[in-house]
Order: sequence, then structure tokens, then C-alpha cells
Amino acid sequence: MLKLHNLSKVYRTDEVETVALNNVNIEIEAGEFVAIMGPSGCGKSTLLNVIGMLDSPSSGEYIFRDESVGQYSESRLGDIRKRSIGFIFQSFNLIDELSVEENIELALLYHDIPVKERNARVAAVMDKVGIAHRAKHMPSQLSGGQQQRVAVARAVVGKQSLILADEPTGNLDSAHGQEVMSMLQQLNEEGTTIVMVTHSPSHSDYARRIINLLDGHVLTENLRAVG
Amino acid sequence: MFKNYVLTAWRHMASNPLFSFINIFGLAVGLTSCILILLFVRGELSHDKQLVDADRIVRLHSAYISSDNPPFRTVRAAGRMMEALRDYASEQVAAGVRLLQIGPTVIVGDKVFNETFVFADQSFFEVFDLPFAHGSSESSFNNPLDLLVSEEIAVKYFGRTDVVGELLTVCCMDGQQLEVKITGVLENLPATSHLDIDFLVVMQPSMFDFAPNLLNTWTSVNTYTYFKLKQGFSAADFKERVWYWTDHESPFTQMDMVEGNPTEQIQPNVMAVTDLYLNARRDAGNMGDFKALGDLRMVYAFSGVALLILIVASINFMNLSTARASQRAREVALRKVLGASRRQVALQFLGEAVTITFFALLLALVVVEMTLPLYNEAIDRELVFSLASELPLLALLVCVAIGVGLLSGSYPAVYLSRFLPARILKSNQSGDESGSQRIRAALVVFQFAISIGLGICTAVIYSQTLYARSMDVGYDVSNKLVLHGLSSSEVSNKKQVIVDQLIRIPGVESVVLSSEVPSQDNENNTGFRLLDIQDDGAANDDIILNYYNAGYGFFESYKINIVAGRGFDKAYGSDEVIPVAEGSETAGRANIVINESAARQLGFSSSQQAVGKVLRADVFRAGLQHLTIIGVAEDVYFRSLKFGIRASVFFNHPATLREATITYNTTDLPGLLDQIETTWKAIFPLTPISHEFVADMVNAQYQEEEQQAELFAAFSLLAVIIACLGLYGLASFTAEQRTREIGIRKVLGARVEDIVRLLVWQFSRPVLVANLIAWPTAWYLVSGWLESFEYRIGSSEILMQCVIAGTLSLLIAWITVASRAIKVARANPIEALRYE
Ligand SMILES: Nc1ncnc2c1ncn2[C@@H]1O[C@H](COP(=O)(O)OP(=O)(O)O)[C@@H](O)[C@H]1O
Ligand SMILES: [Mg+2]
Repeated sequence: MLKLHNLSKVYRTDEVETVALNNVNIEIEAGEFVAIMGPSGCGKSTLLNVIGMLDSPSSGEYIFRDESVGQYSESRLGDIRKRSIGFIFQSFNLIDELSVEENIELALLYHDIPVKERNARVAAVMDKVGIAHRAKHMPSQLSGGQQQRVAVARAVVGKQSLILADEPTGNLDSAHGQEVMSMLQQLNEEGTTIVMVTHSPSHSDYARRIINLLDGHVLTENLRAVG
Repeated sequence: MFKNYVLTAWRHMASNPLFSFINIFGLAVGLTSCILILLFVRGELSHDKQLVDADRIVRLHSAYISSDNPPFRTVRAAGRMMEALRDYASEQVAAGVRLLQIGPTVIVGDKVFNETFVFADQSFFEVFDLPFAHGSSESSFNNPLDLLVSEEIAVKYFGRTDVVGELLTVCCMDGQQLEVKITGVLENLPATSHLDIDFLVVMQPSMFDFAPNLLNTWTSVNTYTYFKLKQGFSAADFKERVWYWTDHESPFTQMDMVEGNPTEQIQPNVMAVTDLYLNARRDAGNMGDFKALGDLRMVYAFSGVALLILIVASINFMNLSTARASQRAREVALRKVLGASRRQVALQFLGEAVTITFFALLLALVVVEMTLPLYNEAIDRELVFSLASELPLLALLVCVAIGVGLLSGSYPAVYLSRFLPARILKSNQSGDESGSQRIRAALVVFQFAISIGLGICTAVIYSQTLYARSMDVGYDVSNKLVLHGLSSSEVSNKKQVIVDQLIRIPGVESVVLSSEVPSQDNENNTGFRLLDIQDDGAANDDIILNYYNAGYGFFESYKINIVAGRGFDKAYGSDEVIPVAEGSETAGRANIVINESAARQLGFSSSQQAVGKVLRADVFRAGLQHLTIIGVAEDVYFRSLKFGIRASVFFNHPATLREATITYNTTDLPGLLDQIETTWKAIFPLTPISHEFVADMVNAQYQEEEQQAELFAAFSLLAVIIACLGLYGLASFTAEQRTREIGIRKVLGARVEDIVRLLVWQFSRPVLVANLIAWPTAWYLVSGWLESFEYRIGSSEILMQCVIAGTLSLLIAWITVASRAIKVARANPIEALRYE
């Protein structure tokens, strides 16, 4: 699905230079469920942003579906992104002024999809994540778990094949966390590739592979059998 | 406490340069406009207030109303009215004076100038107690021909003001050249005086026995007539007496021209001198006053514009402050937690607002100081502005600044001070509520409605001016130079000599004479009666027609077509008016040309039908005449388009021809002018030449409107700039506020143009609504203004201007918002989403 080759990301602010990723080599196959772990500030989010094409690497190569996307223009990356990649954030990042339904629909708004199909897909995905009865509610009227379910729905409504989740359970209590994790697991079983950042060992258990980062390096990669 | 406010205000200004710039600059521009307009309005309102007893001095105006003609109005009165009314209403009148303007040539040594003399009854200083520079009303204004000059004139001729006893040669009074001694020097009249007196002469009525239409008349209106009323009487009181007199005691009751009450046709008006400048415009008709009059409508219009600009600038302030409130919500919350009351927080914000306004005022004062000369030139005034000597004005400005500060600061103050600290600190929210967003949107609507409205007004004023200019006046204005003042005594006897000399100059095609040239707004009225062929005319009524005098070749020179019959032609020999002897029983005979309107008014169904018919009229300085219509000229806009076409009769009466029109076919104008001047000087050494191009005269008719249009354009441009600045600021803050949302949308695949469209649309709605408000309002205002034009643009034109202004307003709003939105939309979304 994607391959990072000797990839580095350096942030320069004023006089400080931060090496967020340092010669990272990672390959992720389609259908995988990968967890990324590591202490705070080790570059996990940066890695996810680069994979999600929200940020460009400073050096190295990024091959997405056999295409080297390093030199692609922003709008071309945006095109790939909106078709193939869904995002889930720790803080949900729903738009406060839009209802649940509208928040989900937003992910289809920038695709050329007829209204009818759009509505059908939004309804279907709301059913799937069990939020249909809250369709007209505003985000502020929902619990954290419910908000994150909306975010998950939004990430997959465009039939994205890769989901990048940055600490999706970070703001949730353990019950709601489990709920979101099982949803991700179900999506993975249906064929969606998932790359997730997490601090929780119990949640990383859902993944087939764990990548440990430290100071921008890949420390270890453990492949594990899921029981 | 206050120091703390100023300090926080200063820090906030420094830390938000965009916000501060928009506020201070916007307010400064608003205040500058306000001060400039205030100076203009103050100048307009202060006219003649400096006169001693200004509140008791009035002037008598005349109006003649008839059913089949537009009313004839003038600010002058008939020569015999002053004495009659002064004696009749002696319980009200303290003194009266008549002023008569005469335009002789003044010669002192090698200096020769055309000047305007004011002849006044000796009672002048009983009415106008004007200050003397040298001499006094008792010692200097006693005997006939005692002459006072203004300081300006003294300096012009003698280089000093102390010129009592000096001699002037004046040419000419009733054909005589006079030596006149200066007996006193008047201080220069201020620019705000309606009187315009360079030379003031004691008038003895018998001096004008040669011209009975000047003083010894009830019907010919040539004197400016003033009264000083006794304490306790107003212009209205006196007018009531004048009307009673007109109906019951006046000689008009005996005249057979009047049926019913004389005041049905003769309607004198009495106006206080302090009202003249702004209110005499209607009474002045097209003959004008001593000086150009002001226009009350302009005073209102510009006061309104000043207020609107200030409102627009204040709205910026309110909008930006509340928009920014999100950033300051925490500060407010913390202050409250630390014990600040709501009142204290409100005071803080008001203090900040007033501080900013004061910065703006300082800036505005500097700008006013710098731009005043330019402004004076643009509006043709002599406004002065010096803070040091004008404490009241300064106090007023400070009040305005505080007022604007309070007005602009009140909403943010109330709004920000209301924040509940717990909620804001806990929820970590911006505290910006949808309610305040709606108010901001409403204010933007209001702001843009003002700008668009001003834009439409400006556009309509402009297109009306262009329309008036582009209208075909019907006569030829190209390559024509007019020599004025051929009636002056040195010239009048040798008119033909100069014509014969001028025609010899190479490049001169023709030289024709007339009493008026097209574009001159004189009005000459007299009664004409259509005589049936054999009848004595008893069956027909007099109708009042305007008349001009045109010499041979006049119609040909101006390319005015003769649609029936013929024009004046030397070949026929008898076209000229020959005056009949005074007291003669038999009428003279002469030929006339009339215009199409006159033919219609006389009741002819076609121009052809009019030819050969005979009119009877008492012709000025020619006695009773039978006038055969030899031709009908096409209607042309002889006068300004403002007044439309008058039904007119053309005589060819050589004695009254005082303008010469030279048509030339050369491009060497300096050479031509040089030759014309040399020729003139050789024949008339004592009379300075006065010439003007017809094209310039026609253009001058629109000068006032053009000046108004330009000023309006300038001020509405300022309003638009301020409004756009505000919109830019608001768009910036909104974009900032929506960065997270924009980030999310971008992550979900929105492109830069999607984001820009989103923001642009947010600000298009208020501008669209603003158009809905602005169109009908502006429409109403401009229709009222257009009423005063005889020929005006139609409603489709106004609609077009509305559409243009609307489209422009949207475009400007788009560009303003988009320039900001693009920047925000380009930003990397993770910047917005990372910190949570
Ligand atoms: N935009 C940025 N500018 C400068 N430094 C950054 C930026 N984003 C991240 N960093 C730095 O890069 C390093 C990795 O950050 P991040 O990927 O967010 O870590 P993690 O998600 O593992 O906590 C940190 O030291 C962080 O401070
Ligand atoms: Mg992180």
C-alpha cells in the first residue's frame, strides 16, 4: 500500500532545528492494522501527517500505491488524499456549527457525488457506527465517544481505503475507547488499512504490527499474531 | 485607573497592528471628512452674520406670476418701491436704501480696468454700518458722487490703502467722462458677505434721469432694495405689510394689466440678509445676485455625508472590537475573577475606544491642516482653520471625538463586559456568540448600504452632468470668440467700426452682433399682441414673450436654421428696428424673427403660418412698434439647459447690440487674439477688451454641478474605502476564527478555491442585502435632486447606475475578502489542528 524509504522530516523554527523523523523506513501492506507507539514528541503525529500527505518530508521517498508522491503538487496530493485517506483525531475535530449529519456529509462535499447518493451513504455509515438516532444533533450535544464515532463515520464515508488515527481514544474513557477500537477492528476486517497512534498497550493489541518510535527513529517493529 | 486603561489600550494597539491601523486610519479619514465638511457648513451658515444689526436688515425681492409663463423672479425691486414702502410702513422701517450696479471703465494713470460701481442712496450707512479703513460715514459719504473704495481697490490702483483725496477718471456716465475724488476707504468685505462692493458712490436720483427704467419706475426691476427694520419687527412682519400695501395702497391697484388682487400676479418677497446666501436661490431666478449664492441642499447633503462617513468609520470600530472579543474573552474573564466589576470592564473598553479616537483626531487635524488649501480650491471657498484661535471649534471636535469613541466603544464595552468568567475559562470557548455575529452582519449591511447609496448618488450626479453636456444645444459653439461690453459708451457709437476692422483680420470668418449670445442667461420679457390683418387687435390678448436682439448674420453664424421665411438680411433693407419719437401717436414698423416655441405660443399651427403675421409691442428704447414676422428660427437651447427653451422674439435693434461673436478658422489662437486685441486697443484706448470663447461659456454653465459631482465622488470614495477596510479587517478576524474549521475542511479534501468561496459567500450576503436597502433609498434621493433639471436622465439610467454600483460593491467586497481568504486557505491545515 505504501512505503517510506529513508524518510526524514526536519522542522526549522527561528534558530531551533527539530528532527521529527530521522531516516525512517516503513512499508505497510494493504489490509494491515498497524499501531505506532512511542513517548510524547518522538514524531508519531509527524509520521502520520506525512503518510496522510498533510505534510511533506524533508528528504527521502514516499511511495503510495506504487507512485512516488514526493514531487506531487498540493492539489494533486489533495486529490489522492480525499479519495483514499480518512483521518481520525484525538480531539474529534468536528465542526461545531454543523450537525452530525452535516459533519459526515462534509467529507463527500468535495467529491463529485450526486446529492441522492450522498444522502444514502451518509445514512448508511451513520447506521454502521450507531449514531443514526443523533443525526440532527450538534456535536456539543454528544458525548465524547459519540463524537468520535461521528469522526470515524466521516473518515470512511468516502470509502477511503486507508485510515490514519492519531490517538483516537486519547480523550475517551475506557468503555468508549473500547467501542471505538472495535469499530476500527471491524473496518479492518472489511479490508480497510489502518494506521493508528496510541499510548495504550491494550489498544495496540488490536494491531497486527506495532512500530515503536524513539526520537524520530524506528526502534522496533514487532509483528504479532492476533489471537 | 485611567493610566491603566491608556496603557492597556496602547498595548493592544501595538500588538494588533492590523486592527489598530484599520481603526485609527478609518476613524482619521472619517474625522477628516467630518472636519472639512464642518468647515464648509460653518462657512455657508455664517454668511452676513458679521453685519451690524444683521438680524434687522432685509431685502425686497420681486416675482411676477402669470398663468401662461414660468414665473419671473429676481432679488431686485423696482426703483420707486423703496421710498413708497419706507414711508408707508414707517412704524416698522428705520431706514431704506437702493443699490444700483453700473459697470464703467476706471482709469488711473496707465491703469485701465472695467469695474463695477455700486450707486447707493445716501442712507446706505443707516442700513449697512460697514467699517471704514479711512474716513467715516459722516464725513465721507455726503455729497453726490462721493466715492468710497475698498482697501483691495485702493491697493490695486495706488499700492496703498490711504487713498482719500486721490482722483479717478471714470468713463462714462451718460456719455460724460468724469473725474471723481475718493472720499473714504472701506475695509474689505469678508468672503462671507453677500454684498460685493468695490466702489460705492453716493447716488443722486437725478443722475439717472436719462434712464427712467432704473429708478423712476414701478415695473422695471433693477435696484437691490434693502431696509433696516425697527427693533422687534421681522422680515415676515414687514412682508405682511408689503403685501397689504400691494393689494390696497399701491399704484398696481390702478394698473389695467392687473385683474383681481395685484398680489395674484405681483408677489414681493422680503428676506432677512442672513438668509440670503442659502435661501435666495429661488428668488434670484436666472439673473443671479451680487455674488454666487450658496445652496441649502448642498449644506444638508454634505452634513449628511459627513455623518454617514463617521457612522461607517464607527461601525468598523464596533465590528472589529467585538470580533476580536474572542481573543480578549480570557482577559475579561480573568479581570472579573480578580474582582473587576462589569462596570469597570465596560469603562476599560470605553476608555480604549476614546483613546483610539483621540489618536485618530490628532491624525485628522494634521491631515486637515495639510489638505485645506486643496480643498478650498476644490470647493471654491476661502475657509480658514487654525486651532489656536478657535477654541470653541476645538472643543466641539474633542466632543465629537469623545462622542464617536463612546458610540464606537459602547457596544464592545457592553458586549465584552457581559462575559461570564466561569463559562469562558471552563469551556475554553471563544465566547463569540451567534447573536453578536448577527449584529456584526447587520452593521456590515448598514455600512455597505451607506457606501453603495453614496456611490449611486455620485454616479447619477455624474451621468446627469454628462447628459446635460452631451445634449445638442442646437447652435454651433465651435471656433467662436465673444467680445463683451460693446454697450460701454466709448464703444457703443463705433460698433460698426470695430466690426469692419475685425473682419479684415486673417482667419476671421465672420463678426456678428447681438444683445446676448447663446448660453447667457439674461431674460428680457415684454408683452406682444398678435394683430389680425385688418383688425386693431382688440380681440387678442397680450402675451409675454422673451426677446433678444440679433444683428445681421447672427443665425447664419451660429448655424441656427430658419425653418420658415427668412432671417435678417441687409438685402431687404428694412429689418432694423427704428425707434419712434417719444410721444409719437403712430407705431413704428420693423421685422422680427421668432422661434418655433413662440410660434406655437402665439397659436400658429405651423411655422409657415406665422410668416407675414404682425405683432404689436412696446419695444425697449424704441417705443410702440408693429412687428412683421419674417421668419421662424428652429428652437435651440439659447439659455442653460437648466431652464429649457423660452418662447422668444428676435429684433434687430442696433442700439442694443452689445456682444460681438467672432467666428474664426485659424488654429493660431494666440496670434488671432493678439491681432484682435491690437485692433481693439487702437480704436478704444479707454476701454479694456473683454473676450471669452463660446465653448468656455457653455462649459461654465455646468461648472457648479461638476464641482458638486466631484466633491460627492471624493467623499463617497472615502466612505467606500473605510467600509472596505472594515470588511477586510472583519474578514481577517473571521478567517482567523474559522481556521480550525478551514483546517478540517481541507483535510477532508476542500481546495483553496472551495475555502475562498466559502468565506467570500459569507460576506456577499450582507453586501447583497445592503444593495436592497441602498437602491430604493438612493433612488428616492436622486429623483428629488433630478427634479430641479428641466432635462434629466430617465429612470432606466438610474437603474443602470444602481446595477453598476451594486456589481461594483460585490466585486470590491469579493476582492477585499478573497485577498484575505486566499492566505488563510493556503495555510497548512495541520497548523490549525495540531494544538488542541
Ligand atoms: N510544525 C512544527 N514546527 C516545529 N516543530 C514541530 C512541529 N511539529 C512537530 N514539531 C516537533 O517535532 C517533534 C515531533 O512531534 P510530534 O510528531 O507531534 O510528536 P508526537 O506526536 O510523537 O508527540 C516534537 O519535538 C515537536 O515539537
Ligand atoms: Mg502527537
